[in-house]
Amino acid sequence: MRLALALALALVAAATAAAQTDATRPSVFAAASLTDAFPKIAPHARYSFAGSNTLAAQIRQGAPADVFASANTALPAALHADGLCSKPVDFTRNTLVLIVPRSNPAAIRSVYDLRRTGTKLVIADKGVPVGNYTLQVLKNMNLGDVLKNVVSRETDVREVLAKVALGEADAGFVYSTDARAVETKVRVLKIPAWAQPKVQYGICVVSRSSNKAAAQAFIRRVLSARGQKILLRFGFLPRVKR
Amino acid sequence: MRRTFAGLAVAAAAAVALSFLVLPIAAIFLRVPLGRLLHQLTTPIVTDALIVSFKTTAIAQVLILVFGTPLAWVIASRRFRGRSPMLTLVELPLVLPPAVAGLGLLAAFGRTGLLQTSIPFTQTAVVLAVAFVSSPLYVRQAVAAFEAVDPNLVAASRTLGAGPGRTFFRVVLPLARNGLAAGEALAFARGLGEFGATIMFAGSLQGVTQTLPLAIYSAFAIDFDTALAMGALLVVVSAMLLLFLKLVLSWRSSRPTSSFLFARSS
Repeated sequence: MRLALALALALVAAATAAAQTDATRPSVFAAASLTDAFPKIAPHARYSFAGSNTLAAQIRQGAPADVFASANTALPAALHADGLCSKPVDFTRNTLVLIVPRSNPAAIRSVYDLRRTGTKLVIADKGVPVGNYTLQVLKNMNLGDVLKNVVSRETDVREVLAKVALGEADAGFVYSTDARAVETKVRVLKIPAWAQPKVQYGICVVSRSSNKAAAQAFIRRVLSARGQKILLRFGFLPRVKR
Repeated sequence: MRRTFAGLAVAAAAAVALSFLVLPIAAIFLRVPLGRLLHQLTTPIVTDALIVSFKTTAIAQVLILVFGTPLAWVIASRRFRGRSPMLTLVELPLVLPPAVAGLGLLAAFGRTGLLQTSIPFTQTAVVLAVAFVSSPLYVRQAVAAFEAVDPNLVAASRTLGAGPGRTFFRVVLPLARNGLAAGEALAFARGLGEFGATIMFAGSLQGVTQTLPLAIYSAFAIDFDTALAMGALLVVVSAMLLLFLKLVLSWRSSRPTSSFLFARSS
């Protein structure tokens, strides 16, 4: 019976293999905030965009990723510590902003207005990099009580973006690069520099990858002058080597 | 010789199908020891999700019974133009991808939607999402149950002087109740498992809109064991609902009130 099941699974694997392995096309698991920029850097790669913590969990469960690009450095470092990916390299940075729908239904002019009761604030879940950064900003600004106005904790930054752009939420914390993607639908409110968290992106080659050459080539592309220029064009900040 | 080969092939194929269906469910229980499983179930995330799930599903089921039963009765007992398109419309959410259901609910009830309500992100939104995706299961089963009621019995009740209301409550409803209960159990199970429409329409906030499936999705990225524990819980609840369904269908020598056939256990 085991043999028959193994046989059936092997057949399915064979039928879907063509979609899975392609020496020139690495599978890139990347933070949702890279959704617009990465395909411009490497259009040939295959992408899975989601919350970095979801992607890390998938890699831990054996997902067939070649590259992991995270919106923080902690997740790839943890994978590296467990032997699941190569030593991560920082490749770009970002900043956090507060966005409100263009119509601004709650008349929010600054982060401090979020304290008003009844404000519908959407943030990312704890564990999602942007969610952790958001908590850090609120802590830095002594605005912990704002959390009582949170109406939803989303699984990645693009979900936060969608709910504000759609006008369903009054405000949300996203990266400045995300806000640019829907410029016509949202207004951007800046967060003071002193309250900004260090938003550092890390990238690594997944140890179980069967396509390491393509994975490394992808990372070289991201770190190249051209790759960095494209990231800057999308509003990311130049990387700083640690 | 050929016969035994064919027999073997059938047995092997059946074994593959069975183990494929059983394996993922068994794996949930095998991955986490029972002691830790029970311990995980007492964390606030899980208890909050449990309460939100059962509360919203229960309210949705009441709505489905109160509004769905009359709709099913109308479809089952009247013959009018547009009856069959109407039935198809009622069944549509059943085959609709949940993400589309979420979009539709936002487009209808969203702040910028058709009705411009402030329902999104509230527990009401969860109830609506659950009701939307699960009511077709009840309504189509209820239509079948009402249609299976012998019209002669209804006519007899009327000629003996009972009004339409009395006839409905004293004759039709008792005769159709097994089918209705079966449909309700299916709708309840589907409602408990609702994910896609809820996360789009209601968001996810612990203790308010985070149902068990949403909590599983959220925990997956942070704490796989807690996700497994909640998964195990949902398996147990779903199994109990299925068992209830089969019992209901076998009560009273299983009158053929249902067209939604399930293999009977006995």
